Amino acid sequence: MPAVQDTIDRVRKIDVDQYKYGFQTEIAMDKAPKGLSEDIIRFISAKKDEPSWMLEWRLEAYRRWVTLDEPKWARVHYPKIDFQDLYYYAAPKSTPGPTSLSDVDPELLRVYEKLGIPLKEQEILAGVQKTDVSEFEEASDNVYKSGRVAVDAVFDSVSVVTTFKKELAQAGVIFCSISEAIREHPELVKKYLGSVVPTSDNFYATLNSAVFTDGSFVFVPKGVRCPMELSTYFRMNEKNTGQFERTLIIAEEGAYVSYLEGCTAPQRDENQLHAAVVELIALDDAEIKYSTVQNWYPGDAEGKGGIYNFVTKRGDCRGDRSKISWTQVETGSAITWKYPSCILRGDDSSGEFYSIAVSNGYQQVDSGTKMIHLGKNTSSRIISKGIAAGFSQNTYRGQVSAHRKATNARNFTNCDSLLIGDQCGAHTVPYMEAKNATAQFEHEATTSKISEDQKFYVMQRGIPEEEAIALIVNGFVKDVIQQLPMEFAVEAQKLIGISLEGSVG
Amino acid sequence: MLEIRNLHARIVDDGTEIIRGLNLTVKAGEVAAIMGPNGSGKSTLSYILAGREDYEVTEGEILYNGQSILEMDPAERATAGIFLAFQYPMEIPGVATMEFLKVAMNEQRKARGEEPLKIPEFLKRVKDAAALLDMDMAMLKRPLNVGFSGGEKKRAEILQMKLLEPKLCVLDETDSGLDIDALKIVSEGVNALRAPDRAIVIITHYQRLLQYIVPDSVHVLYRGQVVKSGDKSLALDLEANGYAGVIGQAA
Amino acid sequence: MNIHTTPQRTPAETALIDAFSDRLSLLPGDGTVMLKRDDAIEAIKSGLPTRRIESWHYTDLRRLLNAVPDFDPAAAAKAIAPIVEGSVILPVLNGVSSAKVPVIDGVIVQRLSEKLTDGSIAPGLDPYGTDDAIGALNTAFVADGYFVDIADGAELDKPVELQNLQAGGQTHVRLAVRVGAGAKAVIVERQTGEGAALVSSVSQLLLDEGADVTWLIVQEQPDTATHLAQFKAHLGKNSKLTLFVMNAGGKLVRQEIVVKTTGEGADFTLRGINLLAGDTHTDVTMVLDHAVPHTASTEVIRNVVTGRARGVFQGRINVHQYAQKTNAKMACNTLLLSDDGEFSTKPELEIFADDVVCGHGATVTEIDHSHLFYLMARGIDEKSARGLLVKAFVAEVIEELDDEAIVEALETRLDGWFATHG
Repeated sequence: MPAVQDTIDRVRKIDVDQYKYGFQTEIAMDKAPKGLSEDIIRFISAKKDEPSWMLEWRLEAYRRWVTLDEPKWARVHYPKIDFQDLYYYAAPKSTPGPTSLSDVDPELLRVYEKLGIPLKEQEILAGVQKTDVSEFEEASDNVYKSGRVAVDAVFDSVSVVTTFKKELAQAGVIFCSISEAIREHPELVKKYLGSVVPTSDNFYATLNSAVFTDGSFVFVPKGVRCPMELSTYFRMNEKNTGQFERTLIIAEEGAYVSYLEGCTAPQRDENQLHAAVVELIALDDAEIKYSTVQNWYPGDAEGKGGIYNFVTKRGDCRGDRSKISWTQVETGSAITWKYPSCILRGDDSSGEFYSIAVSNGYQQVDSGTKMIHLGKNTSSRIISKGIAAGFSQNTYRGQVSAHRKATNARNFTNCDSLLIGDQCGAHTVPYMEAKNATAQFEHEATTSKISEDQKFYVMQRGIPEEEAIALIVNGFVKDVIQQLPMEFAVEAQKLIGISLEGSVG
Repeated sequence: MLEIRNLHARIVDDGTEIIRGLNLTVKAGEVAAIMGPNGSGKSTLSYILAGREDYEVTEGEILYNGQSILEMDPAERATAGIFLAFQYPMEIPGVATMEFLKVAMNEQRKARGEEPLKIPEFLKRVKDAAALLDMDMAMLKRPLNVGFSGGEKKRAEILQMKLLEPKLCVLDETDSGLDIDALKIVSEGVNALRAPDRAIVIITHYQRLLQYIVPDSVHVLYRGQVVKSGDKSLALDLEANGYAGVIGQAA
Repeated sequence: MNIHTTPQRTPAETALIDAFSDRLSLLPGDGTVMLKRDDAIEAIKSGLPTRRIESWHYTDLRRLLNAVPDFDPAAAAKAIAPIVEGSVILPVLNGVSSAKVPVIDGVIVQRLSEKLTDGSIAPGLDPYGTDDAIGALNTAFVADGYFVDIADGAELDKPVELQNLQAGGQTHVRLAVRVGAGAKAVIVERQTGEGAALVSSVSQLLLDEGADVTWLIVQEQPDTATHLAQFKAHLGKNSKLTLFVMNAGGKLVRQEIVVKTTGEGADFTLRGINLLAGDTHTDVTMVLDHAVPHTASTEVIRNVVTGRARGVFQGRINVHQYAQKTNAKMACNTLLLSDDGEFSTKPELEIFADDVVCGHGATVTEIDHSHLFYLMARGIDEKSARGLLVKAFVAEVIEELDDEAIVEALETRLDGWFATHG
């Protein structure tokens, strides 16, 4: 029987611009003038009290950047960005360098509270509240039974606070803002920064190298298992601000670390630019797990506003038997251009990519991964789940390549797309390149819609249509959700539900 | 409780008329069996009661407690108390059965203006119901119906029925694919739900299930109409003599 | 074509542009055709495609096409025996069709040079996209070929074999076939020869309502030839096309397959075998448009890579917004048998309709060691066992064609290749 028109109309009105995190914070800001030039870069570098080698590094990147064109190959469309019409530096006035929470602007703390970030140590010590769902979950492979999370919070361009620093230091783990690392641990930064994503890598990475203002730095020394989850929350607040954070994570021989990244931005009519670079380095027997929940503001129901998210994330399995795992839940941003990759350089190294990309409204997603097999006996695994609704376009783009000397390279790729409604598009563009006879690659992809039979079954149990869809979609993405640490998994499931609101009709 | 008046319905896709002037009344407390040969419209009737969009009602009325349900979507009908035990329960990958039960039970409570169940209370109810149906709790941690055998799926349907406490239960070929032991357990589960304020409609091809769930009334469906109604003896008659006799009278 | 201005012309680009000026007075065509030739050479002047053009990502034509032979008026190719005995042969020798065309019941055969001269083939000369380099090359230079019109309801009892045979130099050929409503035919397209030639060959097929065609492309160029081919088809209502492509030769080969379902109920099947050896480059690129509701397609491509051969399969399935109830499945499986061989796959799905079932799978593997062990345990030596398994891997695709004469003919071709390369 056809649904009642009135119901359809009502549902349509619940649209994507009911962005849950779309509040703006009034805080005094310290800003550089608009636009980009060598002077601005000098300004940023001076503001951050950087050594001269860092300034030189930035200037070199800038000089390179002015010769580059924006990449055009991704399946995303947007008006030309005026890079001179952006602020490249904005910092809350109370910074730099709070040493404890009491130094932080209380207004800022309230922002994080609203975001639900477990910033206060006592809250965290109390343990993250277990949700009902977990009762029925299979035992999680989460090693952090205590549920404690160390947080580095980045507000616009500047890291405002890092928790649990002392305890981490006792274990030998360095977790601080990248600015602090440049000042305090120059030898490590010099050695590793740009060693995975060179300053010349691509248009956005090069821009980031020139202007990055903050981000997180993690160093886990030889043989150390980082005693807790590390987490960064990024929030873009200031108008017309580009956010260019830089994250560098190093796991030495036999080390292990799990790192979580979350992002939000307020609702604005203009598009804001976000161009981050993340570099991961895993030496022999090291393991890095990097998880992202991205819900930058996606724009309103007409496709106005929203974040342009052009991110370069790459992990280098530099050592033998090293492992890097990327897990991402992408529900936000007007445009997402993002391919977290693994360079499997060490023998017996392995890479993983687990991804959920949900698009609704007029969002455009072009995301996937690259698995570059260089060493012997390397393996990689890709599980990608794309969900397109509304007028959105959702593309999976992934590359798997085995180089001539990569004997016994193994890859398994599974990418499934789900379409909700007939105005959206789901696309799959995998590149498989085998140059070694012992390579074994397997790729499978499907595209379908939510089965009417499943939806009817669920609704027959009294669950309304929109919730029924969210439930089925959450089932569809389960394989990836299971890869997330528990606290993130629950949040991610909720986010998927929120971002699909208004997709029925 | 349920009153179907001169119901006509067709398949939306190709316009084939399946239900052609069906009349049926089921009172509260009654167990009604609907029998009929293959293709008589039995399963279609169950789908139409539950509100499946593939069928379009072109004429007639379905009244549930005196109110028309034709404009209600499947979820609204379900929270109003109509439950369909599917002949072929759907597999839903990734959705844990327990989670599904919790969401569904809380939707019922929300419709009644009640608070969501507390976890321990929820768990207790599920455990008790599962024990009655001889179901292993481990099964309920698995994704909904995924990898369940035919018998397990049918038990899971009855489990859901018990937990959601519907007022009108429609069982579509619940006996198909069950061995004799499972059939007994499922039947006991259904019998336990018999209540003065609840009606149960059993759709079946064979009389077998009716030995365990004894109906108050039996209706024979043929070509989209109820061609004969009677008490439980009608079912025995059909078993002994087949449908030909009854249909012959109708034709 | 490459829309960026290219700084400097490659020798091949220069040779093509010069050849056009030289040949112009000899090329048949009315005013419309000649205008299209001009447009086409303009496209070539703006540069051959490079890997920056997405559809040429793995076949950088500008880099790979490093020499273009001159036209050779003395080349003397001869017709050969058809793969299926008793087939009607339509030969194109050195790019020239036969003046004496055979008479087939229910079929009209015309020389393409006539269709160019009277301009009636002009609409078919348009490029299908901005990256249609093969179409442009062919449109600029095409001089002959055939136009075959199979009448409504005609059922051909013998295959028609279109032979495009070269003996060196350049040949640019077009084979256009219309199959009338309800008609049924088997068409074989042979592409072979013995010279160091540059061949461009474009086939166009139009299927009317209910037409049923099996089209076999058998490409066995010598390893001195560059073979740039295109197969374009429109599938009308309830029509059925089974396309079989076998590449077993050529130095630089690109076979494009451009298929569009234009009528509901159309059904497309592609089966392909690429047998790659030596220091060669072979690219099969398919673009399939499901443009109307209720159409189906399946594609299976099997590749065997030996020597220093490089292989490419790109398959893009576009499901248009109104093409609901599309069912499309694609698989590409590769056996990489040598350390210096390469294979790149890009199976794409572009889907704008929600009520569809689409999927693709791709694998790159070695020979299954347990199978090998099994055969060897039965006393078969390793070399023979490998041969058996590799042949079985590709033969599976052939055996699906349910016409005994065709299966036998193709297996003979397969045996021929394994005898020299196995």
